[in-house]
Amino acid sequence: MDIIPQLILNSIIAGAIYTLVALGFNLIYGATKFFNLAHGVMAAVGGYVFFYLAKTLGLNIFIAVIIGVGLAGLVGYGLDKLIYLPLRKRKASNMVLLVASLGAFTAPQAVIAILFTSQFKTLSQHVGTQKLFEVFGGFITQTQLIILTSVVLITAGLVLLLHKTQFGKAVRAISDDEEVAKIIGINTNKIIGYVFFIGSAIAGLAGILVGFDTGIEPTMGLSLLLKGVIASIVGGVGNIYGGVLGAFLLGFVENFGIWKISGEWKDAIAFALLIVFLIFRPRGIMNK
Amino acid sequence: MNQSTKWIVGVIVVVAVVVVGYFVPKGPSGPVLTEPIKIGFIGPLTGDAANIGQNVRTAVEISVKEVNETGGIDGRPLEVIYEDGQCTGNVASNAANKLISINKVPLILGGACSGETSSFMGAAEQSKTVVLSYCSSAPAISQAGDYIFRNYPSDLYQGSFVAEYIYNKLGKKKVAVLYAKSDWGNGIKDVFSKKFKELGGTIVIEEGYEQTSRDLRTQLTKIKAVNPELIYFLGYTEASIPGIKQAKELGLTIPLFGGDAWDDSKIWTEVSSAGEGAMYSVMYAPLNNDFKAKMRAKVGNDEITICTPQAYDAVKLVAKVIEKVGTNAEAIKNELYKTSYTGGVSASEIRFDSNGDLVGANYIVKVVRSGKAVEAK
Repeated sequence: MDIIPQLILNSIIAGAIYTLVALGFNLIYGATKFFNLAHGVMAAVGGYVFFYLAKTLGLNIFIAVIIGVGLAGLVGYGLDKLIYLPLRKRKASNMVLLVASLGAFTAPQAVIAILFTSQFKTLSQHVGTQKLFEVFGGFITQTQLIILTSVVLITAGLVLLLHKTQFGKAVRAISDDEEVAKIIGINTNKIIGYVFFIGSAIAGLAGILVGFDTGIEPTMGLSLLLKGVIASIVGGVGNIYGGVLGAFLLGFVENFGIWKISGEWKDAIAFALLIVFLIFRPRGIMNK
Repeated sequence: MNQSTKWIVGVIVVVAVVVVGYFVPKGPSGPVLTEPIKIGFIGPLTGDAANIGQNVRTAVEISVKEVNETGGIDGRPLEVIYEDGQCTGNVASNAANKLISINKVPLILGGACSGETSSFMGAAEQSKTVVLSYCSSAPAISQAGDYIFRNYPSDLYQGSFVAEYIYNKLGKKKVAVLYAKSDWGNGIKDVFSKKFKELGGTIVIEEGYEQTSRDLRTQLTKIKAVNPELIYFLGYTEASIPGIKQAKELGLTIPLFGGDAWDDSKIWTEVSSAGEGAMYSVMYAPLNNDFKAKMRAKVGNDEITICTPQAYDAVKLVAKVIEKVGTNAEAIKNELYKTSYTGGVSASEIRFDSNGDLVGANYIVKVVRSGKAVEAK
């Protein structure tokens, strides 16, 4: 059997998931210029809200997805207003914000573990009976197709939002220089709040989709975040297109890397890629 | 001060610190005889294998309650200090350090995952703290030292039992191994592969994965490409659920055979039809109805995971030993080598060999039928 088509599909699926995390991460980094570690936990928030609504309360799946995504966004928005905004006003350094975000990462994760236990849960209702599609001898599931479609739609939507709207212009202005943006009359704190909402909502969606594909657990945020951050740095931190590129590059390198050697090297390969980029091209693929 | 005076002062300081350090933690010499006897517990209360850890904890609580209701140990109640090992070496090691140096327990029940136990058995041996693991099966633990015991069988037994079962009973000669990179996964894999090759079978591929990994697609893709007749999948609950699903999603139809960690009903309810026909080996435990009823009353369902009976018996065994020889760790250690405990729910007899390993082990194979594991005939 030729395994290349399946390896390509595996890489694309992994890349798509990393993209969702990297998109929001880069969006927030672009506007605030600090490493928001709490971004990872938004995936868990989205996944667990969906789990509670759809599986425990039996709500319609689509409504549950919307509420899950919305709540993840709101939690992100709330974190900005409660923690990051006061710190920014006090002109706290990025190091302080980073440490704060580490706390903002750990606390919700602990709350989720207390409320839902730390056991691994799957979201999918029909495990094992899922529709399979054959692509050149490889297999892809319905869930994975939905993930791919969402990634394409969200990336396209985000690009349109950033380039075709007033809001997008403001976000880009803040990314270029927050002080100047302020001077020309942009309410930067308000815009950054919205950026947190959008970025966190995308992470929440990532959590739900990962939950459908594999499953959810309170600690899922960290591994997603790590891969998302690698993707961001490789692609060019703060750059939306770079994040997408980096995510797929990471997916391919990771999955093709263990083609000829044993699978336990997967994470080692991912971090080796990060180190190579940090040494030879620290600003990533896209950033000049 | 010249060089040699400095040396002398330095040596005196070191000696003083050592001497003081040696005497101070001993505390008051005659303990009040009504204060509780404290022992430690380490298990995966969160993280990987948390389902097992929580179930085990329930059994330990029941067992401790029973010991205390029947008068405790010489009138003193038994108290367990629970620490979370998260099925991870460094976390378990921190937990053990706390139990050894702060709580100064003479004995630690645990850890559950072999990686937990391996991480602190050196420290326990050095500090002369008895370790009685109710769940760790990695072969390397046999050589850990005098103070390390387990009433769960070494994987030497499990690995060769499964090799013979797959080769002779199932008649499969070409097997792929997919294993978690952990003391447990590596341990069984090594024993299994060696035995299976001795029998005349072929291991067509060995694929490892990080214990925390949830995406095993590429490993499974590689396995599928070499056409084995069966996959021996050594994984804990959290990776096994996505792993079993992903095997199905990649169109793998060959049978899956797992290790004793698959004796967790959560896996089979979560993977539903994807787990149909999966098999795994597990230690035979003579569970009685009384124990089942007590667990049901506390847990709320019929779930008794792997190691839960062992943990229940371990508490009883420890209480019996401390009753006889007191709380001195060395005395407990010596007594454990001589003890034989019968009438438990985990084995007909618990006895330790000179490595502190459980003597004798009977395995059975369970097969999953419509989401429930039943004994294979």
